[in-house]
Amino acid sequence: MDFAFTKEQLMFKKEIIRFAKKEIVPRVQEYDLNEAFDFESFRKLGDFGILGLHFPETYGGSGADVVTTVMAGEALGEAGVDGGLTLAYGAHSFLCADTILRHATEEQRQRYLPKLISGEWIGCMGLTEPDAGSDVASMKTTAEKKGDKYVLNGSKIFITNGPIADVAVVYAKTDPSQKHAGISAFIVEKGTKGFAAGAPLIKMGVRTSQTSELFFNNCEIPEENLLGKEGEGFNMSLQTVEWDRSALLAPFVGAAKYMLNSCADYARKREQFGRPIGKFQAVKHKLANIRIFAEASQSLAYKIAWCKDQGRPLNHLEAAVAKLFVGDWSIGPANDAMVVFGGYGFCHEYNMERIFRDSRLAPIGGGTSDIQKMIISKII
Amino acid sequence: MNYDFSEKEFTLFVDINEKMGGLAANGQLDRKDPAHNKENIKQALKQLAQTPYLKLGLQPVDGYQGQLSWMGAAETLAAVSPSAYLAVEASTRLFGRAVNEWGDSNQKSKWLTPLLEGNLIGALAISEETLNIENDPLTAQGERQGESVAINGAKQYVINAPIADWIAVAGTCDDAYALFLIEKEASGLTVEPAMETLGYDGTPISGIRLEDCRIPNEQVIFPPADIDMAEAIRMWENQILLGAGLGLSKAAYETARDHAKSHRSGGKPIIAYQEVGFKLADMLTLFQTSQLLAYRTAWTAETSPKEAGELLLCAKVFCAESAEQVCSEALKILGGNGYITGNSVERAYRCAKYVQIAGTSTEIGRVKIGDAALGYRN
Repeated sequence: MDFAFTKEQLMFKKEIIRFAKKEIVPRVQEYDLNEAFDFESFRKLGDFGILGLHFPETYGGSGADVVTTVMAGEALGEAGVDGGLTLAYGAHSFLCADTILRHATEEQRQRYLPKLISGEWIGCMGLTEPDAGSDVASMKTTAEKKGDKYVLNGSKIFITNGPIADVAVVYAKTDPSQKHAGISAFIVEKGTKGFAAGAPLIKMGVRTSQTSELFFNNCEIPEENLLGKEGEGFNMSLQTVEWDRSALLAPFVGAAKYMLNSCADYARKREQFGRPIGKFQAVKHKLANIRIFAEASQSLAYKIAWCKDQGRPLNHLEAAVAKLFVGDWSIGPANDAMVVFGGYGFCHEYNMERIFRDSRLAPIGGGTSDIQKMIISKII
Repeated sequence: MNYDFSEKEFTLFVDINEKMGGLAANGQLDRKDPAHNKENIKQALKQLAQTPYLKLGLQPVDGYQGQLSWMGAAETLAAVSPSAYLAVEASTRLFGRAVNEWGDSNQKSKWLTPLLEGNLIGALAISEETLNIENDPLTAQGERQGESVAINGAKQYVINAPIADWIAVAGTCDDAYALFLIEKEASGLTVEPAMETLGYDGTPISGIRLEDCRIPNEQVIFPPADIDMAEAIRMWENQILLGAGLGLSKAAYETARDHAKSHRSGGKPIIAYQEVGFKLADMLTLFQTSQLLAYRTAWTAETSPKEAGELLLCAKVFCAESAEQVCSEALKILGGNGYITGNSVERAYRCAKYVQIAGTSTEIGRVKIGDAALGYRN
């Protein structure tokens, strides 16, 4: 075993933290308050190379390994970047662009990836439906082949980047008589007739990310927009799970480190009963809880990333454990961080209430904690 | 980066499981049995001496990664027999490690060699009534009297004291930290009867008293002046307790899982019920997270010892508390079977509390972790 990061990785992480603190973090609170997507920060992520870290250089990416890519997510969280922007980045780069990289034709890659990697275009992925959440096979959206076109009908919900996306990877049934085997994946561009996004949903957390429904009403797309072959969609959606369990968990790990540093700064300065509150054991106890969570969750996310770098098939048991731990065990530290700040922790002026709200997505998004438990209990 | 143990390490884990499995059968290593506890531990040491286990972390062993390999092996042994594990570790990686790190070549050949061959049981006595969060100065004291040293003091909760051939007593001498190596028959040494404890029934623990106990100068070890001996020993204890916590979680989780798959209720295995299956999922999550954290801590201790302190405290708190939670949930899954004295889960549940209390307690651990975050220490 060897848990060491390379010097280059550690330097890169520092660079991202420095960049994010300077360019993004000062804008985070304002955009969160307004529930607005920060296009400028998103473009800056593209300019810095973060949106295309693991993509080949041919398409404008950096060719980084998965561990480095996960590290970027952790660094953004550690710098104080909000969960909304990191979620938007994840949905864009891993759920949309990575699926195009893996399964699209070369022509499609050339058409979409450079724009997605630079941040000129924004991507999203449409899988979940009002009556088909974790039970993906129950999806009702259909894609009917008519001549050289597919005609999509149905709707999707809880789609991160839905209202702002230029391109979507959409899953639909090409064979409604089948369950998983009837699902196929398609590329749908904004502006396609019959394709529309709903208004942004009002959410508890990750508010700067824009989430909406997607509607398909006799939406015609060329047959070449089918990704891979008919019936391969479900397996494509499963491949994104590897990112869900590593790169998309990493910002939560980083956020814990941000909370720890913020709470320590505050507890050193804030005085009550004639001394800094950091001198009280109850406050130290809370800081310790946050640190322990950060250390414990870090190894889980990087292990999934390292396995992916080795080219191993996803270990669904370990992936579910990682997701479950970050989902269910993050509420304690996030609550502790808010409480350390007392009344200020409850106010928007300080970041802690936002981080608490953002953290509540962890046990829900990308497969709820109950689904992770179901997976684990079936495998063991 | 590499998250896998090597094949050689896995082979060792299997070997330990096989060698110790017979000895530990029917819980015989984990019973309070004053007439046989010493013999049991001696047999365990003899078995382990046939493998690289006792040397790991103390001496380089080709193909193994010191403390990291040891942590994986420790988990295996602690799952097979919690009591044998604690006794073996107190002997090897408290008493033995002190001699290995701070003893001279004569002292090493006198105590370390037989210890690693499985021919000597050691104990290390450090805890005193006055010890607290600040690690107050040790009151056990040695006074030089010519060629010998006279020691006075009292120690509590000394693992292996009733069965040890030699006891290393931590104290001070000449205004410096010192370890006094005292043979079991030494005049002035009183080993109190083994305590009745909640768990670790097969590991005799007792207090000792030293009243003008005289030993030759050659039996005194002085750690280097820049070493905080008490802090170092606490760190070793915490490392041992990490392995203990992993082993308890492993034993409890695996027993509960196997029971849930074989025990049927309402026409199906109880694991098919979400109340049971989801509990096991939580237990496995705690166990696997504990493993990764403990392995990373051991790796850090092996590669960058100076950076390991805070991480070790984090791992100690997490693994210790997780062990109790895993054991508690396992008991519920076993139902009435779990409540019967003598089964491995009930035993692990009783042992788990010790892992939180011993070494740096989880409460003090949190204070120290908090202090580090605040920059108040280190």
